Amino acid sequence: MMRGIWTRETVALLLIAACLPLAAFWLWYGGPGAAARLGLAALVLAAWQLVFLLVRAQPVCVVGALTALAVAMLAPEGLGPWRLVLGISFGAVMGELVFGGWGRNVVHPATVALSFLGFGFPAFAWPEIALPVAWAAIPAGLIGLVSGVMPVGVLGAAALLGAAATGAGLVDPGVLPAAGVVLVLLVADPVCSASTRPGQWLTGALYAALTGLFAAGWHGAAPVQITVAAALLTALAAPALDETALAVWHANRRRRHGRT
Amino acid sequence: MFAPGPRSGLTPRFAAPPPALPDRVEPDLDITEEAGIVAGLGPAPRVELLAEEDAHVARGAPVARLRDAPEICLVAPMAARIGRVSLLRGHRLSEIVLFADAGGDALRHDPSGARTEAGLRGLMQRAGLWPSLRRRPFGGMPGTAERPAAIFVMATDTRPFAPDPRLALDGREAAVARGLHALAELTDGPVFLCRAPGPGPFTAQAAAPRLREVICGRRHPQGAVGLRAHALCPAGLDRPVWDIHAEDAAALGTLLDTGQMPPTRLVAVCGPALRTARLVRTQPGADLRGLTRRIAQPGAHELLSGTPLDGHPAHWLSPRDRQVTALPRAAAPGAPHWLLAALTRSARPAPVIPTAALEQSFGGALPAAAFVRALGAGDDEGAMRLGLLSLLEEDVALADYVLGGTAGLAGQLRAMLERIRTEHAA
Repeated sequence: MMRGIWTRETVALLLIAACLPLAAFWLWYGGPGAAARLGLAALVLAAWQLVFLLVRAQPVCVVGALTALAVAMLAPEGLGPWRLVLGISFGAVMGELVFGGWGRNVVHPATVALSFLGFGFPAFAWPEIALPVAWAAIPAGLIGLVSGVMPVGVLGAAALLGAAATGAGLVDPGVLPAAGVVLVLLVADPVCSASTRPGQWLTGALYAALTGLFAAGWHGAAPVQITVAAALLTALAAPALDETALAVWHANRRRRHGRT
Repeated sequence: MFAPGPRSGLTPRFAAPPPALPDRVEPDLDITEEAGIVAGLGPAPRVELLAEEDAHVARGAPVARLRDAPEICLVAPMAARIGRVSLLRGHRLSEIVLFADAGGDALRHDPSGARTEAGLRGLMQRAGLWPSLRRRPFGGMPGTAERPAAIFVMATDTRPFAPDPRLALDGREAAVARGLHALAELTDGPVFLCRAPGPGPFTAQAAAPRLREVICGRRHPQGAVGLRAHALCPAGLDRPVWDIHAEDAAALGTLLDTGQMPPTRLVAVCGPALRTARLVRTQPGADLRGLTRRIAQPGAHELLSGTPLDGHPAHWLSPRDRQVTALPRAAAPGAPHWLLAALTRSARPAPVIPTAALEQSFGGALPAAAFVRALGAGDDEGAMRLGLLSLLEEDVALADYVLGGTAGLAGQLRAMLERIRTEHAA
């Protein structure tokens, strides 16, 4: 029988393909240290996927490569391998694998890992996102949009609101590189953002608003720290945004048809 | 917020042979030597036979009637000798095989009583046209006295390889108009005529009361009944909605004019296991092997009644189908290695990732990800709020295809509908 291609693995591969420009620029500017962090993150994630494959018959998913890239790019610097392993393990297990794997999770495992590392080891400095790396987020987002694996509303609303706020002088432009990278890597994940079209626009807008709010009021925070915190709160709010969109949809149908 | 726009939907591509004569649109007449009377999808109906094996019957003569609704007859699609009757336990219909009778006659019904609604229903039920109607929710033919909230007449079909209904209706404008008028008698609600963009062959004459034209785009599932019903007049437990193909509406018009059902319907024969595609006029219940024998490629193949998306392996053309798909027979999959099976057993159904492809596979008509999650979670009430009762398996077939067949949406939808039907009946 003939079948279409949009399985979980296809979407995961397309997301990885979309983020390849980002990974290439980051590795180019990060050098062997960045490659080592990426290798370590990938190894830890693969190990946990293997554990859940053997214990809970949960198939592995290649999207772990994207999680590894996000953690390696955005985790605080100078943590050392053990703290990094601890943070990645917490994020992978509590953020994704206990829910049944990618597709059934609520928050991106990299967001969970980064938040854990940020809260647990606050003395370590967050990384700076080099400008060329941030520019590479644009083709990543475009590839995701064209292939349909990244939600239009999330990217569109965040980009529009971010541009408007920056133009109006409400947001420090220094936050934008980190905001763009986090948007593509963490917020635009199709599983962890809202699934309804209005909910996706609200998700993008909320991320942009939270980033602007933290940038204005969170003194001393690094841009990556600000944007990861905004991504975490946005992911936690996404189901509520979906519910809101569905409630409006139900109300419209009730008004039009007398039923849903 | 969620409405099928003119560009929503997808155009799935399947390998297909070219037509034998690309410029020719006139279909061949191909009455197969054998035909079968079978039930549609779903539980087989309990029947009472009206003709025995070896009996000669005229075209349109009743061969069996439903035990639970004796007014509804299953009729012979051609003048024939009844070759074999196969019934399942409890007198449930398996198949009735007919052999063409060259010198046979056609039964003429008396349409004079169809001026009243009861007479019209009786005529449709006696003449074998009632099974062409399908109800939502749950599917299947409607009850004899059921009165729908709306009727959808489908003059468009956006499924891959589907024949253009306009070809079937060419030159039959008056019959379509008469059929639409008659259908309007069966409901107090609107009659939606769903058709492709461009000049319609029936708008001028088909000014039936409460007729509303709906222009559907060319991408699938814009021509899917369920999604149209969901957008225009959602079905409910106490508000059934019916649908009928426009060619069957024209057949109703012909029946009312002449007392006889048209002998053929337009059927597309295609698929990658054929050398050429065909467009034929053949009888309902036609033998699929007879339609494909001369054009099949060498090698084993499988014949589906229906489309590559929602067709099912069959010997005879199913009552509502207008398409035959021939696929190369795939080798039976071997049993997976026990370790691999054990390690991946919790993956079914596979998680569905919300993408633009998933949304477009529902034509943007409903919140696709929320609906698919409600189906997967067995959330009956949530799925009903999202429009489950307007949908049948064929409406989620494209989404099932797009998701690589790993989600099992059609099975989940049918299980949920049966659960709701059981609870509603209790």
